[in-house]
Formats: sequence, structure tokens, C-alpha cells
Amino acid sequence: MSLEHTLPLTMLPPGRPARVVEVRAGRQLRDRLAGMGLVPGRVVRVLRDNGGPLLVAVGETRLAVGRGMAHKILVTETALQGEPAR
Amino acid sequence: MTTSRRLRVALAGNPNAGKSTVFNALTGARQHVGNWPGKTVEKKEGYYRYRDLVVEIVDLPGTYSLSAYSPEERIAQEFITEEHPDVVVNVVDASNLERNLYLTAQLLEIGVPMILVLNMADVAEQLGYKIDLGRFARLVGVPVLAAVASKDIGMEALREQIHHAAEAPEFHTPPAHVLQYDHELEKAVRRLTAALENLSDLEGYRPRWLAVKLIEGDGQARRVVSRAPGGEAVLTLLQKVMHNLQRVYGEDVDIALADARYAFVRGLARQVLTLPQHPPRTLSDRIDQIVTHRWLGIPLFLFFMYLMFSLVQNVSAPFMDWIDAVVSGPITTWTLAGLLALHAPPWLVSLVVDGAIAGVGSVLTFVPSLMVMFFALAFMEDSGYLARAAFVMDKAMAFLGLNGRAFIPMILGFGCNVPAVYATRTIENRGARILTGLLIPFMSCSARLPVYVVFGMAFFGKDAGLVVWSLYLVGIVVAALAGWLLSTLVFTDVHKSVFVLELPRYRLPTWQGLWLHTWEHTSEFIRKAGTVILGIAILLWFLLNLPWGVQNPGESYFGKVSHALAPLYEPAGFGTWQAAGALLSGFVAKEVVISTMSQIYIGEQETQPDAPPRLHPLEDARTIVAGFGEAAWNAGKALLDSLTPGIRLFPQTAGSAENQTALSRALHKAFTPLSALAFLVYVLLYTPCMATVSAQMQEYGWQWALFSIGLGLTTAWVLATAVFQIGRLLGAG
Repeated sequence: MSLEHTLPLTMLPPGRPARVVEVRAGRQLRDRLAGMGLVPGRVVRVLRDNGGPLLVAVGETRLAVGRGMAHKILVTETALQGEPAR
Repeated sequence: MTTSRRLRVALAGNPNAGKSTVFNALTGARQHVGNWPGKTVEKKEGYYRYRDLVVEIVDLPGTYSLSAYSPEERIAQEFITEEHPDVVVNVVDASNLERNLYLTAQLLEIGVPMILVLNMADVAEQLGYKIDLGRFARLVGVPVLAAVASKDIGMEALREQIHHAAEAPEFHTPPAHVLQYDHELEKAVRRLTAALENLSDLEGYRPRWLAVKLIEGDGQARRVVSRAPGGEAVLTLLQKVMHNLQRVYGEDVDIALADARYAFVRGLARQVLTLPQHPPRTLSDRIDQIVTHRWLGIPLFLFFMYLMFSLVQNVSAPFMDWIDAVVSGPITTWTLAGLLALHAPPWLVSLVVDGAIAGVGSVLTFVPSLMVMFFALAFMEDSGYLARAAFVMDKAMAFLGLNGRAFIPMILGFGCNVPAVYATRTIENRGARILTGLLIPFMSCSARLPVYVVFGMAFFGKDAGLVVWSLYLVGIVVAALAGWLLSTLVFTDVHKSVFVLELPRYRLPTWQGLWLHTWEHTSEFIRKAGTVILGIAILLWFLLNLPWGVQNPGESYFGKVSHALAPLYEPAGFGTWQAAGALLSGFVAKEVVISTMSQIYIGEQETQPDAPPRLHPLEDARTIVAGFGEAAWNAGKALLDSLTPGIRLFPQTAGSAENQTALSRALHKAFTPLSALAFLVYVLLYTPCMATVSAQMQEYGWQWALFSIGLGLTTAWVLATAVFQIGRLLGAG
């Protein structure tokens, strides 16, 4: 895991599953994102990237994540299609 | 029956989990069903009777968690822990279990009696999800029900369960150790819990919950503990514990807590939820493929907006004719007949007919178009499209220094600025919230439309539609420029505000939901027409007729004040006391501009040909009253007639002779097409109404409300003057 390189969510090619490694934000924002499902360990997928906000799939949830925010979410690509928990 | 027991139930759940639908299904209360995150910010209450119980329901704000940072989360947490509801009903979206159960995990920790409602069970079933309810209930230690609130499925079982909770709260209280933390964290929690258990007075809080919350840095938990005798010792222990934890987790203790909750949630989901082998690509995702498309997204959005406005015009027109006919026909005649039968003096007849009925009637005529507008907005919101519109428009909003979140209140502003201002509550960044609230008044609300329509018909004929559209556009452009300027000069930190918004799964809005939403706003408008606007219409009538016996409204009190204001508007081309007066009354509500103008201009015309003579014998009096009434009635009819054709923004020019009503004839004398245009620009941009100002005052403080008034008046004056002066240079008017 630690050998894989991390990249911001904005750099993740759409459609590829990736695991959240870190959310670089203040506590308040981090907790809010946690409530919406965006926590380290979660597998996410970018559904659409039009150059503006990203449309991100987190489990069954669909989130619009502003580009600035998405830049602070670090992920690592994973070969898994779903979450290992399932 | 005399001593029915009371039971208090709190509804908690994520936004978009259908909490409001459950609330409606239980209480039948009239309230709004939203579909974008954080819509139910206000506390809503309702009640129902069930057997020997009166059950009071409090609809808590929709939240994703209880971290107590946002006002919504604080409200929810404090209500549950401090107001001690008898039962907390946690509404969960069955088709999105994992995300929703995060809040559930936090609720379970509090340790109050709970019932879990897995709502939208039909959607989950369609997706091929299988949920083992029995196992679920055993694992969480509280009853779990499946439901489809929008179809009233499972609601009777919920009522029954709530009743049962009143009898046996112990069966509904989750065990204290339902959720275990990571090794080091769990040790810390237990240490604190043990210390808390030694305290004598914890005000009914569960020690373990307090321990977790203390670690989280929650202010409420800290207050409770410091109040308790011996609490200081626990807080000292907390410092030590935190020191240890930070050695292990660094600054991410909160993330470790969240991790443990997600681990619990994931474990729970794994045990109770069976997913299909091949999850189908949902319809929702397929719609999003098109709706959020890079090139199609914005054109589609613009198309939907166009559709909405053309619906507002075309669908509402016949209904408007109908209301017009009712108001100008039966209502006026019957009122007149009643007044005549009561031998009402002429001034009273004039007050009721010219003042009250004409004033309120002209405003009520717009109820249908408002209803259609509110209905269309409710449809966009409840279906889930509005959140997509915010996604699509985020980039464009960046120019104003705002993000996609601010877009939803702005769109609502086209309907009415007041709910739009309240809708800014969902924007976290205070600067961005205030900036949005300052730009909303430039969104041309539906109350301004009547003014455009009347002037458009009088001066621009078949170009009226174009003029009205340009005005909407001018509002948007001014908002864009003001937004850009303010975000560069005043609100410099808004660029940093974050945009995260849930795009809820598309759903077909229920008729009940749409109707409740539409009716909520429409009834508010009607109430306004019946109170504020009625009051103004009557007040205005007096101001126009005082000192007693004035022949010309220009010499009345109202006329005098307006005369004093008129020179201000000279550079903009409408420096007449009538225009100034109409704008003055329009400060209270834009709908009043037209009713004021008709009172002023038509009143002016009447007094010239046959001023009502003095009362003589009783016989004469009757004919005089009848004659005056008839004249007033005709004037009232003419006024309402003048509003009728304007309702169609693209009318046939054939009946134009008939369209030359009293008001538009009067307007022609007072305005040139150019000064009329300048006047409309002014109406578009200056303070929308008192209600908006008071909403701004409530949300952002009086300084910003005053700032908004200043901003509106300045922009309005500058632009109206620019239109008039530049138009004159170009040789128009």
C-alpha cells in the first residue's frame, strides 16, 4: 500500500476506482466529508470531470466536489472494482 | 380520553433520506419536502393521535453526522440530548445504507430510545438489495422497520412501534457498547467512562457518550462535565488521555473516531445487506451521463429554464383571466351591493372598491403565474435536478466568486427573493452566504413581472416580450458584475469556500410533495396580499385623499411627499410625482407599484369629469352612491382589464384598441418609451420589498440589510439614468 504513489483526486482518470488516503482539510470540513462518506479507506470513482467540479461516486452516494476541494483529497489507484469490505 | 398521554418523537436522518416524507405521512402536516441537501433547516413540528397517545413529532434538520460544527448538526444533537425526546426515529435511505448508517452509529452512542426506519425500501429492492431486518435489529439493539413513506407503506407499523416505545423504552434503548473503537481509542474511552461514572450528576447523559464526545472536542459534552461536581478531575484526565492519543494518531484523532464508526457501519452492512452479483447501472447515473455532460449540461439547463418561464406565461394565462373575471365581476358587484344596502358613504365605497379591491385584486391576479413558477421550481428541486444544475453552473458561478451551492438560492430568487435569502443558510462560508444574499435581489422575482407587463404592453407592443426578457438578463448581468466586484473588494475570502454537494438519486416527485411545496409559498403570498398589500392599499387610499376633500391626488399628503422625491428621478427621465410615489410604495412590495399607479392616475382622471357632488336628500344620495359606485366599478374593471392583456407577453396586436385602458392611456401621457424603459430598469434593480430586507436583516444582520438597500438604490439609479441619458444621446425618446 505504502509503496503505491498517491495523487490528488483531480488527477485520477474518470472511471478508475481509487482509495482515499488522506483528506487535507481543516477538522470541520474533514468531519463533514466523513459524514458524506469521504474518509480515508473509502473507494471512490470520478464519474465526470468537465474541468469544473468533479462528480464523484462514493458507494451509492454521488457527490459534486469542487475542484479546489478535490485537489486536497489524496487517493491511490486500486485494482479492486468494489470495496474489499464487501 | 381526558388524560391522553403525550409522547415526544424526534425525526433524525440524512438529507434526502425522505425524512420530510415520513413526517408528512405521520402527521399529514403541511410542510415542504425538499430534495437538495440541508433544505430542512428549520425545526418543524406536527402531531398525531394514536390510541391513548398524542404524539408530537419534531423534524430535526437533515444532517450527515453529529459533529456539532454546523448549526444543523448542533441543533439535532442538542435537541436529542437536552430536550430528551421519548423516542428518536432515525430515517435511513435503504438504498444507500452505508452512508446513512454513519449518523445512525452516532445516534446509537447517545443511548436514547430509538427506532430505525429503512425508508425507500422499494428503491433498494429494485436495485436488488436484500436486507435482513431481524439480524439488523439484533445487531443494533433497537427495532428496525422497512418503509416506503411516499406510498404510506410501513407507516402504520411505525405508529405502532412508537406506541410500543412509550410502553417499553428499554426495548428501544441501544446497549452502551454497541460500537467499539480502535484499540488505543477504546482504552481511552473506557478510562474516561470509568471516571465519568464516578461523578454524581451527569444530567442523564450516558457516560460513554460523554467520553467519546470529550475526545472529539465537543463543546456541549465539555460543558456538561465541567458543570458536574468533580468534573474538573475528569477534564484533567482528558488532557492526559488526549496527550497519549495524539502520540498514536497525531492530529487525526477525529479521523480515527470516524474510521471506527465506518468500520462498525461496514461490518453492520456486511452482515445485514446482500448486494446483487452484478449491480445494475442505475437510471440515475444514466440520466447524469446526459445532464452533467460537458457540452450538453449548460444548454440543457438553459432549456429547462426557458421551459419553466414559458410554462409560467402560457399555463397561467387562462387562470389569470379567470381570477380577473371573478375579482372584477362577482366580488366587486357583491361588495358594492352590500355597501349600497348598508348605505355606506361614497368615500367608504371608494375606499373599498378603488383602494382595497382594486389594490389587492390586481395583485391576486398574479397568483396563478406564481403557482406555476413555484410548482416548476418544486419539481426541479424534488426530482433532484436542481443539485445537478448547481453542479453544471459551478464554473460559471466561480466568476462571481461563488460556487455552485450559491446557485440554488439564486434560482429560487426568480420565484421570490424571500425564501431565496433563507435558502442561503446552506452555504457554510459566511462571506459567501452574505454575498449570495446581496446578489439575490437582482434576480427578478415574480412580483416585478406585473410592472414589466403593464409597461411593456403600453409602450413596446409586440416587442414587450423582448423587453421583459432583456430585463431578466440585465438583472443577471448586474448580479454578475456586482458579485465580481464585491468578491474582489469586500469578500476576499469567499474564493476559498468549498463546494461539496450531494446529488441525490433522481426520483419522481410525489403530487403531495409538489402540492405542499407550491401551496406553502402561494399561501404565503396570498396572506401577504390579504394583510400587507391590503393595508398598503388602504393606507394609500387615505394618503391620496387626505387632507379631506382634496380634488387632485397631487395635492394629497402622498402627492406632496412624492413631489419632494420627484426631482431625484429627473436625470433618469421619470421625475414626476406619480412615478416617485409608485416607487415609494413599491419599496414595501413590488406588486404595489401597479396598484398605486392605477389609484393615482385613474383617481386623477375621475376627479376631472364629474367630481362626486355633496350629499343632499336621501333619494339623491342613493343614486349618487350608485352612480359613483358604477363609475368606480367601471374604473376598477378598466384597471383589471388593463392587466389582462399584458398577461400574455406575446399577444396578438389585433385587439390593441381595446388594450388602451385607462392606465395605459395615463401612462402614455406621463412616460416616453425611453423613460418607461429607464423606469423598468429602476424597478428591476432597487430594493425588492420589505420582506426581503427583513429576511436579510435576520440572516446577515442589519448592517448588511442596509448595505443591500444602498446597493440596490445606487445601482438602480445609476443604471436607469444611464439608460435614459444614453438613449437620449442616441436620439431615442
